[in-house]
Amino acid sequence: MSNKVGACMVVGAGIGGMQASLDLANSGIKVYLADSKPSIGGVMAQLDKTFPTNDCAMCTMAPRLVEISRHNDIEIITFVDIDKIEGKPGNFTVTLKKRPRFVDEDKCTGCGSCILVCPLGKIKSSGNGDKKLKPISDEFNVGLSNRSAIYISYPQAIPNVATIDKEHCIYLLNGKCGACKKVCSANAINFEQKELIIKLNVGAVILCPGYELFDAKLKPDYGFGKFQNVITSLQFERILSASGPFSGKVIRPSDKNTPKRIAFIQCVGSRDFERDYCSVVCCMYATKEAIIAKEHISDLQCDIFFMDIRAFSKGFEEYYNRAKKSGINYIRTRIPSVKEIDKTKNLVIEYLTPDDRKLSKEYELVVLSAGLRPSKFSNEIAFKFGISLNEYGFCSTDSFTPVNSSREGIFVAGTFTEPKDIPETVTHASAAASNVLSLLSDDTWTLTTYKEYPVEKDVKTLEPRIGVFVCHCGKNIGGVANVPEIVEYAKTLSNVVHAEDNLYMCSTEATEKIKQRIKEHDLNRVVVGSCTPRTHEPLFRSVIREAGLNEYLFEMANIRDQCTWVHMHEPEKATKKAKDLIRIAVVKARLLEPLQRKKVSINRDVLVIGAGLSGMAGALSLADQGFKVFLIEKEKELGGNLRKLYYLLNGNNPQEYLKNLIEKVKQNKNIHLFTNVKISSIDGFIGNFKTEIIVDDKKVEIEHGAIIVATGAKEYKPAEYMYGKDIRVITQLELEKRLAKNWTPGVESSGSSKNIVMIQCVGLRDENRLYCARICCSQAVKNALKIKKINPNSNIFILYRDMRTYGFNEGYYTKARQNGIVFAIYNEDKKPVVIDNNNNLSVKYFDATIEKNIVIDTDLVVLSSSIIPYPENKELAQMLKVPLDQNGFFLEAHMKLRPVDFSTDGIFLAGLAHFPKSINESISQTKAVAARIGAILSKDSMELEGTLSEVIDENCDGCAYCIDPCPYKAITLIEYIFDGSVKKTVEVNESKCKGCGVCQATCPKKGIFVRGFKLEQIAAMVNAALQP
Amino acid sequence: MSNNSVLKDEIKVDPGLLSEVRKYGKFDVKGCYNCGTCTVSCALTKDSASFPRKIIRYVDMGLKKLLKSSLEPWLCYYCGDCSTTCPRQTEPGEAMMTLRRYLTSQYDWTGLASKFYLSKVWEIGTLILVGGLVLVLAVLFHGPIVTSRVELNTFAPVNLVHSFDMILLFTLTFFVLSGAFRMYWFTMVKGNKVRMPFSLCFTEFKTLILHASTQLRFRECTDKTRWIKHFLLVSGYVLMFTMIVGFLWWFQTDNIYPIYHPQRWIGYYATVVLVIFTIEILISRFKKIEQIHKFSELSDWLFPILLLLTAISGILVHIFRYLGLPLSTYYIYVIHLIIAVPMLVVEVPFGKWAHLYYRPLAIYFQAVREKALQQQMDKGAVPTSGT
Repeated sequence: MSNKVGACMVVGAGIGGMQASLDLANSGIKVYLADSKPSIGGVMAQLDKTFPTNDCAMCTMAPRLVEISRHNDIEIITFVDIDKIEGKPGNFTVTLKKRPRFVDEDKCTGCGSCILVCPLGKIKSSGNGDKKLKPISDEFNVGLSNRSAIYISYPQAIPNVATIDKEHCIYLLNGKCGACKKVCSANAINFEQKELIIKLNVGAVILCPGYELFDAKLKPDYGFGKFQNVITSLQFERILSASGPFSGKVIRPSDKNTPKRIAFIQCVGSRDFERDYCSVVCCMYATKEAIIAKEHISDLQCDIFFMDIRAFSKGFEEYYNRAKKSGINYIRTRIPSVKEIDKTKNLVIEYLTPDDRKLSKEYELVVLSAGLRPSKFSNEIAFKFGISLNEYGFCSTDSFTPVNSSREGIFVAGTFTEPKDIPETVTHASAAASNVLSLLSDDTWTLTTYKEYPVEKDVKTLEPRIGVFVCHCGKNIGGVANVPEIVEYAKTLSNVVHAEDNLYMCSTEATEKIKQRIKEHDLNRVVVGSCTPRTHEPLFRSVIREAGLNEYLFEMANIRDQCTWVHMHEPEKATKKAKDLIRIAVVKARLLEPLQRKKVSINRDVLVIGAGLSGMAGALSLADQGFKVFLIEKEKELGGNLRKLYYLLNGNNPQEYLKNLIEKVKQNKNIHLFTNVKISSIDGFIGNFKTEIIVDDKKVEIEHGAIIVATGAKEYKPAEYMYGKDIRVITQLELEKRLAKNWTPGVESSGSSKNIVMIQCVGLRDENRLYCARICCSQAVKNALKIKKINPNSNIFILYRDMRTYGFNEGYYTKARQNGIVFAIYNEDKKPVVIDNNNNLSVKYFDATIEKNIVIDTDLVVLSSSIIPYPENKELAQMLKVPLDQNGFFLEAHMKLRPVDFSTDGIFLAGLAHFPKSINESISQTKAVAARIGAILSKDSMELEGTLSEVIDENCDGCAYCIDPCPYKAITLIEYIFDGSVKKTVEVNESKCKGCGVCQATCPKKGIFVRGFKLEQIAAMVNAALQP
Repeated sequence: MSNNSVLKDEIKVDPGLLSEVRKYGKFDVKGCYNCGTCTVSCALTKDSASFPRKIIRYVDMGLKKLLKSSLEPWLCYYCGDCSTTCPRQTEPGEAMMTLRRYLTSQYDWTGLASKFYLSKVWEIGTLILVGGLVLVLAVLFHGPIVTSRVELNTFAPVNLVHSFDMILLFTLTFFVLSGAFRMYWFTMVKGNKVRMPFSLCFTEFKTLILHASTQLRFRECTDKTRWIKHFLLVSGYVLMFTMIVGFLWWFQTDNIYPIYHPQRWIGYYATVVLVIFTIEILISRFKKIEQIHKFSELSDWLFPILLLLTAISGILVHIFRYLGLPLSTYYIYVIHLIIAVPMLVVEVPFGKWAHLYYRPLAIYFQAVREKALQQQMDKGAVPTSGT
């Protein structure tokens, strides 16, 4: 018996903390999710949309918020501070101090009556004479609106309970008022509430306290806090949001007028001598905010003032190009100051053109792209947990252990370690979860509970009683269509016994209401008209299940994605269409039948394709969690691209790490290694895959439950810049190999000159390859610094388009500049030229600032060439039935929130096969995959969908029309003896079937159908749709 | 990729330029990431002459020809705004200062300017040498020493001193003019694509006079007080210089004029502003009070120190004469010359003093350039590739 505790404390409940909690809880670890704020969600809850897909941030995270709040094994502890931690890895005692919120969390229903009666919420402005009553600025809207002293941070807040602000509450300050207490029918207000000390026993801790937005007041020249129309990016995010201070209307603070010209100033609080790091996300969020703002105001002018546009992740460069095409101006100047015109409150910015002319322009609104600072809790957390911070105040981690703190058993994730984007945070959090799972592998399922649903009510014989619930989705639906009118219409439909609307149907408050209505009105079918079943159907199914209905007695009308979003400017037509969609859904609901999910047993072994860094690190993580891993590699040697890296920017030695890694992989009993492998087929489905490989001409069959695709990528061998024609033109990897072998630049050249020119973006960011390969800038800086170290007299010129040394790599870029490495910008449309003039090599480029062609005599040209996907990806993708992106890299399920999953269950993605990335990023990604797989394979069986194909044997004559079209190869032809003769028929493998309906569409005999999508159901829907 | 593709409008990189420039003072552009903050902050930058960013790029990239043909370093009055706003703390203002030293040495054909800037031994040695020479001349050629009362004109006859002044004046003017000509050659002839109609040199001459006498453009800088201080200092200097070179017979007399006489007023005014503002500069440099005084090379110290000593020794001559102390007056007079003459010989053509003519010349040349460009554009031929 282990003396470890099968529980984990997650500190910080932003999107990272939420992800880690879900991964852990789904793998059998009891989770305590703590946050200092009154509710969970972090900064992502404040965002309007997310780049580069422009998905609504709240819509993508709301299902997770709800999932967490409903998860039996996640205990949410909000409004809490960490007091101390004692113990050792596997068995810590954490003491928490929960601040009084003066509201009983168990009693409060989040109805909001108290908020409406609080006198402090009614103060319009500070100038009403009464000095004692000042409006309270709303933190969630970053000071752009006011709130009451009793408040709920945001509509979807979890836990959905009110909090009293003791700094402002009149009753708590001088004993008068108490209006909220009087109005609270749940009797939840408790002014006597005291601080609560909570002691928790956990095996591990994950710290993800997030970041702080840079305080723009520290840069007084921008006038933030002084000029009303200078706002921060987060404030603008709130302005754009439907749930924001101006209900999604893009207006400026001073006069509430619509701006016609908006300027975005980049690098506010980043990339200066005090904060020599890049905040990573600002270039893209400014681009996103500009795109969205232009969607709101069609003739809006957006200028983004930048130094380098850092669009370095998947889809970002394409997004940036799209922004440029839509007319957003990118102006390369770091802006020193903003001036206000007193009369109009407009703002004036002076900037430079590429040829160095100074211009000035007037704007109605200026948005400061404020950088990411370490969390205000960083120092305190570091002190209390005994972990170390780096020079910038972020948590220090190592390249090879990106989620480990300096203390064993304490893991870290997200922006606590370095500024990062949402997918990287989510990945990081899953990676931290994976480390916890490895540490507590013997103690899973020891402290967890099982969710019991009430016995399902038998509705087969009952007359349909349908409830219709219509969601406003903030302004997404309600801002376009007339929701009350839709509700009234729904009430007129036959079998509808109840209809109502809600601002957010997915909020806990609303879902509780649905359950209540099911009981009140004895509903036996439920229709929700809202966003999309893609994200929200599981939630509502689960809700009605809790109310005793079979989960398939639910139907969703997609009145946002397929209605109000596409008919944004036609409110009347949108309302009419929404009514149609609701009617169709109601008609379907009448015919709904209860369905049951089947359980299938699963194979708990994992196949890892590719034994490079990602493959090996992932295999080890899974092996540590106790899973058997088949690690296959097409080459003879292990290590992949890592074999070609000899040193890192921070001085670490990857070769040493690789040697250890290979050693560990070879010695691990849980890992079965095959090299020289060719895959001949992959068959099966999540939990039950069967893969045939050929190892040294011998066939081997492997059965496994999940797959990791870690096949890597390769360096592009350039066709440009005389590569291959002149031996003095080489790639960065070739240079690195030479430098690692103690080659001294300049020594072998004949004269005294020792000039080296590096050219960035080779075979990239152009019409052939649209993307940015993310790591080449840092790679060039790394190699240039190495050369300078070997030979300080060498002259190195780096010709670039944007230096994309994101995060802490910025510091190395500065170091390179300080070491005298010369950086010069070339234009996309005037690429540099390599010239060989009588054996004298030179590079010529056009310098836009100097307005001249500049010729650099050189001894060596180094090309920072692209990282490209393997062409073989196509074949593998077909075998796996997973998609590739337009560049040929594997495409994940969702760019923000499912960055390591494929849309096909049971198959996951790590390393360069996904996109170019650094070593630490590959390691976190592969560890994240290990956590995701852990969550699936830690159970013995898996539940299938209820809506799968079913054969009606008496109708089927075995014509086999359905067999070939089935994309999942789920149907087989069988023969049996019936009444003395041979009866042909087909059979469906339910584990493979996805319920897509192709079989049903091809069958001429009505011999096969998909449950929940029967022909008569669909016909009824079509009839309803055609109704006038 | 072939030889044919070599365009005419191209320029070769000289990687050694930065280290060459750096010998002349602080030029810390290494941390610079070319963001443009400095140029945006600069109140004096114009479309036709933008700085500091572009000029710093010339040095960073090793474009010596372009640097030598640039007037921009002289158009900068060094208010220090660029240095305070620089997000990298690279001190672009000081870099421009260093470039003025570098360019002074480039305009000078003797190579002495370079020697003085690069070697303390050369600079101080030359000052001592010239001072010694003045002492020898004074010992050899002084007139009778009257001890009964102060007869300075007997000890140092005005005619003799005036002749010496004239020799000095012509010699220095020769160096000044040759330097100015080389400046013209580099910036207006060799490095210029626009044809300069000679007539413009006459019509724009007023610019030279205006800016030489008023430093008017300094007023456009954010901090206006610096212009006032500088203007007063220059006014004192110019007055004193004019009196000594042009009106020595009037200025250096043994007659004691009444207190209301302009000769005394001019003298008092000039020496007082010289003393006050050289001391102000020295204190600011010592305590690094103002941005522009944070970095001080030897040449930055020597000019105000020598100026202050000249003024103080001049005042002492005046005081001793009034007190009727003959020997003290004669000694201090010789000391006065021992300070003033080397200062002029070293600083005027080869040192910091040179900005008195290079800067207004640059403004003047720039005006000619702009007018010439304007004329060409009016004719429809746009020579530059400006967008």
